[in-house]
Parts: sequence; C-alpha cells; structure tokens
Amino acid sequence: MAKVVSQKTLRKSFNNWFFWNGCSQQAETMQGIAFAQSMAPAIEELYNNKEDRAAALKRHTTLFNTEPQLGSVCNGIAIGMEEQLANGVGTPEAIQETKVALIGPTSAIGDSLWVATIIPLLLTICLSLSSSMKTAPWVGPVLYLIIYPLGTYLLSWKIFHLGYKAGLEGIQSFMASGQLNHIMQAITILGLLVVGALTASYVTFAFNIDVKVATNVFNSATQTYASQVVSVFNLDNVLNSIFPKIAPLALTVLVYFLYTKKNWKPLMIMLLIFVLAAVLTAIGFIPVIGAFAA
Amino acid sequence: MTITQVILIALFIYLGAIGSIVGNTIGWYALGRPLVASFVVGIIMGDVRTAMIVGIPLQIAYLANVTPGGAVAWDLSYATYIGTAMALAMKGTVSNDAALVGLAFTGAGIGGVVGGTMWNVHYALDVFLNRWAERVAARGDTKRMWMPNVIGGQLIGFACRFIPAVVVLLAIRAAGKTTGINVPAWFLTGISSFGSMMAALGMGIILSFLIKERYDWAVFLVGFMLIIYFKLSMMAVAVIGVVVAILYYAIIQNTKEEAF
Repeated sequence: MAKVVSQKTLRKSFNNWFFWNGCSQQAETMQGIAFAQSMAPAIEELYNNKEDRAAALKRHTTLFNTEPQLGSVCNGIAIGMEEQLANGVGTPEAIQETKVALIGPTSAIGDSLWVATIIPLLLTICLSLSSSMKTAPWVGPVLYLIIYPLGTYLLSWKIFHLGYKAGLEGIQSFMASGQLNHIMQAITILGLLVVGALTASYVTFAFNIDVKVATNVFNSATQTYASQVVSVFNLDNVLNSIFPKIAPLALTVLVYFLYTKKNWKPLMIMLLIFVLAAVLTAIGFIPVIGAFAA
Repeated sequence: MTITQVILIALFIYLGAIGSIVGNTIGWYALGRPLVASFVVGIIMGDVRTAMIVGIPLQIAYLANVTPGGAVAWDLSYATYIGTAMALAMKGTVSNDAALVGLAFTGAGIGGVVGGTMWNVHYALDVFLNRWAERVAARGDTKRMWMPNVIGGQLIGFACRFIPAVVVLLAIRAAGKTTGINVPAWFLTGISSFGSMMAALGMGIILSFLIKERYDWAVFLVGFMLIIYFKLSMMAVAVIGVVVAILYYAIIQNTKEEAF
C-alpha cells in the first residue's frame, strides 16, 4: 500500500515551519535546524524504522535558507519528494539537490514581492489611516496586526500545500506560464505609485540656507522707515519654486544610486544621512545665513 | 515608568525580534514594526495618543527595513520599542511634538545598535545548536527534533533580547525620573531632521526592489506628482494604485491570450 502523508501531519509540519522558522538561524546551516523540525512529523509518518528516520532527518538538517513566508513552498515540495521516496520513487540526492536549487529563487521572490512590496504597502495604508484619524490613531496598528499575520498564514499554507500537491514540476510550469510575472508586474506598478507618493509626503530635506539682511523698510501705514530683517535668498524656497520637493526627491534618488550602483550598505547610507543632517542643522544655526538663526 | 512597565516592554522587544516564539510573521513582521510597536508601548504606558505621534514618523523612517539573508545591522524591534518608551518616559522634559519625535529617534538609535549587536551574538551562539540537532537526527528521534530549534533557540534568543532590553529601559527610567534635564534645542532639531531624512533611506531601498526598467521611474514620478500637484492623500493614491494594477494585470493577461 502506498504511503501518504495525512492532512493532519501536513498541517503540523507547516505550523512547525510557520512559527519557528527563525528560531535557530546561524551562519552554518542558516535555517537548517528549523527545516528539520518542520520535516519531522512527515518523516515519522513515512518511515517506520530508526535508520530510515535518521537518514531522512540528517538530509534536512543541512544548509537551507529562504524567505520563510513564501518559501513554505520548499517544505511542501520536500514533503512531496519524501513521500515518493518512501514509496520507492526518486533518490535522497534528488531531494538535497532540489532544496539547494530552491534557495535562490524562493528567497528572491519572497524578499522582493512580500517583504519589500506587500509589507511596506500594507503598513503605508494603515499608517495613512492612523495619521488621518486624529481621535483614533490605534485603528492603523490594530488593522495591521490582524490583516498581516492572518493573510500571510493563509497564503503561506496555500503555497505550502501547492508545493506538496504540484511538486517541483508543477511549480516550475506555473512559473514558466508567466502568470506569476504578470502578478508581480501589476503589484510593482502599485508599489511604484505608492512609493512615489510616500516620498513626496514624508521625505524632507532642507538646506536651511536663508540669507537675511537688516535694512530699512518703508512702512506705508506710518509713512516712516523702520529697521527690519528681511530674507533675500532662501535656497529651499528657490528650489521648491523650480519643482516642488525637488530636494527630497534628489535625496531619495541618491540613496537608490548609492545602494544599487555603488553597493553601499544601509548602515553606511544611514551614517551619511546622519552627517548631512548634522551639517545642515549646524548651517541653519549660523547667524545671518542660517534658517533657524534670528 | 514602573518596573512592571519595563518588564512588559522588554518582553515585547523579545517577542518582536527575529525568531521569537510567536514566529516571524507575528513577531518580527508585525509586533516588530514601528507602527505596531509604538501602539503596544502606548498601551503599556497608558498614553496611546503620544505614542502614535512618535510611532508614525518612526514607521516612515524605517519603512524599508528589509533583512536579506538574515543580515541584521539594525534591530528594528529594539529600536522602536526603546525609542517610543524613551519619548514617553521623558516627555515631561520637552515642549513640543517635534522635540518628542527627536527624543524617539535618539532612543531608536541607542536601541537599534544594542539590538543589532545582540542579534549578532544570538546568530553566533546558535551555531552550537547544530551539534545538538545532529545528535537528535542521528538517533532518528522525530519526536524530539523540535527541541534544539525551539528550546535551544528560544533560550539563547530570550537571553539575548530580554536582559539587555531591561538594562537599557532601566537607564531610561532613571533618566526620566531626574527632572531638570535640558535637552538642547539644536540637538532635537538635528535629530528630528535626521529622522525625516531617514525616510529617504527606506524609499531608496524599496525602489531598488521595484525598479527594473528605466520607464519604471516614470510611474514613480506619477505617484510623486499626485501628491505635490494634485494634493491627494496617501489613501487616495493607494486606491488609485490598486485600480491601475488591476487594469494593468487584466490587459497583459488578455494580450497574452490573444497572441496565441
């Protein structure tokens, strides 16, 4: 009789992964220990003797790493392959090779689609809700706290199940059909629009240069001259009259350039921003030419 | 801040860290996000309104905190819980919202560095769990395979997160008690302008994931102009974005079918 992994075991295996994938991350096997924990219920059901179980656990404690939320597809595929192996189809080596081959593409899709697009997008929507509701700012975080984990759990389980059912070939043909690409392209457009709007709404960058001179201003009401300080050159106002918020836009593009083209680490960019903020604030306090100076 | 509040906040710092017992989806990606973290601190300290005043700018600055391949230089959970707690504990020393945000960013800076260091300690100590896992695997003990991961990982994780968090929070508590601390205006101005410039870091990194073709910049600029010229709200842009994305998807799906 063919051995089959039961629904209950699948769910248990998935939960093991979903909740504890990050417990023991380290440089040697990355998420390998957690992956083995996820596979343990299925291995127990598929193999009856100790030697087979030990061999199976061993091949799943090796190096593994992915974006865990969408990467649950790997666990599904691995269980499907173990099931076949228990029925005499396939080789242990093939399972190992498949897992290693899945690391790259699943991390890339998970990081760019889920972590870098969906999370910021959902946060942005909840954030806008909070900042527009002055009396009930808790609405945003509460909504996020419900929608994000619940939605991710359901999707991650579906993908896990898909991996188990369709196997590697099924996933490959789905990816080859281009449908995933189309979904990603559509979400990218949404992401770009939102990030553009966010940049305009929230990034600030001012040079704080505001040259002032003391001069005699004619007061038409009293028909007299009075000494007054007037701004003759405000760099930020000049720039904004050319194109509103051009300086924040330029800063954002600079960060993009440093990060993608010059391979700067985020921490380095953060330091640069810190230095810029310090220098520009200091300029703002310089008498006569600073924006904060009297 | 009372001792109970210190312990509760430290507990949530641990829960919101990578690899906590509730899992990364509920922990790192939900409890650890500044929007949620500031709300939680607000509840614990009984001032949700003030907590959200600092939480929103923190969330914007750290919107793109992506951690590819487990490389954490900056622990977001640590940063925002400690930043918000610091702003709330010391709110008596400052006069306006901008200065409050400045305090939160100062706290976030301290918290982020401590948290990032502790993550690296955690990451290094976890290597020893491999030996434990290998022994369990060699015995074929499927029933105990969870132990190195969950028990081992959690003991190390809890020690690395909770204890340093309590120490930092106690220091903030002591600072909050001393009256007459005068945080200079230039410092708060500088740190809050750093905070709002930091939003550019988030946007720049998200863009690096989104931009694939040159013309993608045009779509980005449309979003930018919807705000500066049309004065739409963020919510409105999000709704327009969803509609456009659906239409775009429908169109490319159809053109593909016709091509065959």
